[in-house]
Amino acid sequence: MLITRRGAMLASAATLVGAAPLARPALAQSGPILIGWLAALTGPSSAPAIGFDRGVRFAVEEISTAGGVKGRRIEIVTRDTQGDPTKAVNAAQDMISRQKVNAIWGPTNSGEALATTAVMARAKMPNIHPCVVDSLIDPAKYPNAFRVAPSNGQWDAAVRNYCENVLKVKDVAVVGDTTGYGASAVAASVAAFRKEGANVAYQTQIDATQPDVTPDMLRMRNAGAKVIVVWSVSTGMEARLMNVRAALGWDVPIVGHPALGSGDVRQLLENERNWEKVYMIGYASCSYDANGKLPPRTAAFVARLAGKVALDDTSLWWVASGYDAVKLVAEAVDATGSSASDAIIGYWNSLRAYPGIFGAYTWTPEQHNGFPTSEVVMSQANSQKDGAFKLAPGYA
Amino acid sequence: MFSASRVMSFTAGQVGMLGGVFGAWFILRLHLPIVVGFPLTLLACAGIGVLTEIVAVRPVIAGLEKHLYVLSTLALALMMQQFTAIEWSTEPQPFPRIVGRGFGLDEKFWLPLLACAAVILGLELLYRRTLVGRAFLAIAEDNYAASALGLPVRDLRMASFALAGAVAGLAGFAGGQLLLASIANGPMLNFYGFVPVALGGLGNNRGAIAGGLLLGLFQQAANFLVGGVLVSVAVFSAFIVVLMAAPQGLFGAPPTRRV
Repeated sequence: MLITRRGAMLASAATLVGAAPLARPALAQSGPILIGWLAALTGPSSAPAIGFDRGVRFAVEEISTAGGVKGRRIEIVTRDTQGDPTKAVNAAQDMISRQKVNAIWGPTNSGEALATTAVMARAKMPNIHPCVVDSLIDPAKYPNAFRVAPSNGQWDAAVRNYCENVLKVKDVAVVGDTTGYGASAVAASVAAFRKEGANVAYQTQIDATQPDVTPDMLRMRNAGAKVIVVWSVSTGMEARLMNVRAALGWDVPIVGHPALGSGDVRQLLENERNWEKVYMIGYASCSYDANGKLPPRTAAFVARLAGKVALDDTSLWWVASGYDAVKLVAEAVDATGSSASDAIIGYWNSLRAYPGIFGAYTWTPEQHNGFPTSEVVMSQANSQKDGAFKLAPGYA
Repeated sequence: MFSASRVMSFTAGQVGMLGGVFGAWFILRLHLPIVVGFPLTLLACAGIGVLTEIVAVRPVIAGLEKHLYVLSTLALALMMQQFTAIEWSTEPQPFPRIVGRGFGLDEKFWLPLLACAAVILGLELLYRRTLVGRAFLAIAEDNYAASALGLPVRDLRMASFALAGAVAGLAGFAGGQLLLASIANGPMLNFYGFVPVALGGLGNNRGAIAGGLLLGLFQQAANFLVGGVLVSVAVFSAFIVVLMAAPQGLFGAPPTRRV
């Protein structure tokens, strides 16, 4: 069956209804392995969770076909949080105390995770999430929480590395929107650039609804910026920056947030050429090389997905990451023979370069940021094909 | 609208936003020609104006001594925004090219100016040359006296909301290429729409135009000089200073007290 957005929604709703009366005793070591899935499947920030969900369901299907984990089935308990931290907390609480899940995957955005992390830590609930805010991972405070995606700090490092070592420029302009995320990301990025000796020629925050960004671009140019670093999810603002760059005839690269490669940017561009020389954060595992090939492990995964999971309207890394999350829980139960919290957390703490599809995860009791910084790369923003992007110029 | 009902409606900015959204929807999504899509947009926005009057103004206006701000219009404005977010998109969407040629300056810059000039001229003619326009002024001046003279106050108020809806729709449509068809434009249009109206003096159209031009010049100067988030700080600081010096607005008549 092809996993589509509509199918995923219906199945999630069915899981939601079906799972409610199935509360089970906590120490059932022979029943199904229950994985809570805190997914923002509807609402304005639903796109990632819909992608993650496809990977989750594909992993469950694959494990079931192979006979389960030591004969035990995997069951996903999905709750649609709608991107709302309150709903996410209620759902997490329900999964912990009523559903008695063995591990929780998600939530998938930082706003929700900031609210749920402490709740899960109190219950010692094994938790994997892909949220970027650095403070969400702290093995001393939250020994149960593990990250399978890069943190903000790792994104930032990858962007600086690309500007300084690949583009070889020292004069940067750092731009964000006026949201809390924009403000904090610009401040962190500017501080890190300065620490490494780069010259932050200009920094600003632009209101996402500002109709014309010409004055801002002129000030960046006059300040001598040789690259523009953008931290924003506002596709409107990003498209305006690209359009004005073309109108000014300014040949400056734009580097930054993954939203730069969103399909929403494409339709707001006055000319497709305005999208050239724009490089966004991407991942080595989900990027095409110069010959248009994915890395072998990802290529094999995509071949398995063919005909079963739609990739044309989502990001490959979302699907890969959702798949890895389920596999990581399954592997923990398989390796330790137990679905108890301590066993799962202990196993994750012992992982060294675990070969997931999205990344090679390494966790220790002291470090729960599992995604290697070296696998965070820059991609060409205008090169999306089947959910993956081409590597930006400069990578071997 | 304010002239006819003494109500400052919070839906004005949202209807402006909808002017852009309807324009993009009719022309880009439904592929209607511009000559059909444009009047349909104005019609739809006028309809929303009428809806505002029926749902948010009429039920409460009788019980209010001094109208000015009716919070039910704020509730309706928020509902409009949420509904648009669900049915349209939370991300800005493209708006079609209208004329297709620039005359030296891109059409996205001169279309709003042209629309603004047309509205000023139209409203001046309406208020000065037509009976309906004078009736609007009459009910604004004294609701009770106007109805005692046999003016259909309710119908006129509804007509004024329809007209205000169409004008807001025209503003959103003309500025669509600059603002894009985005739900985020509603609150922005409300904020930056209110400032010139208050600066110019409530109910004073010519004052609002002068206030708007001054605000635009000041804002762009601030944009080039300081830029970023400081622009809105500069605009609202200037706004507060002006209102402290002239509470009735730069061109508003000082309030008269009935004795």
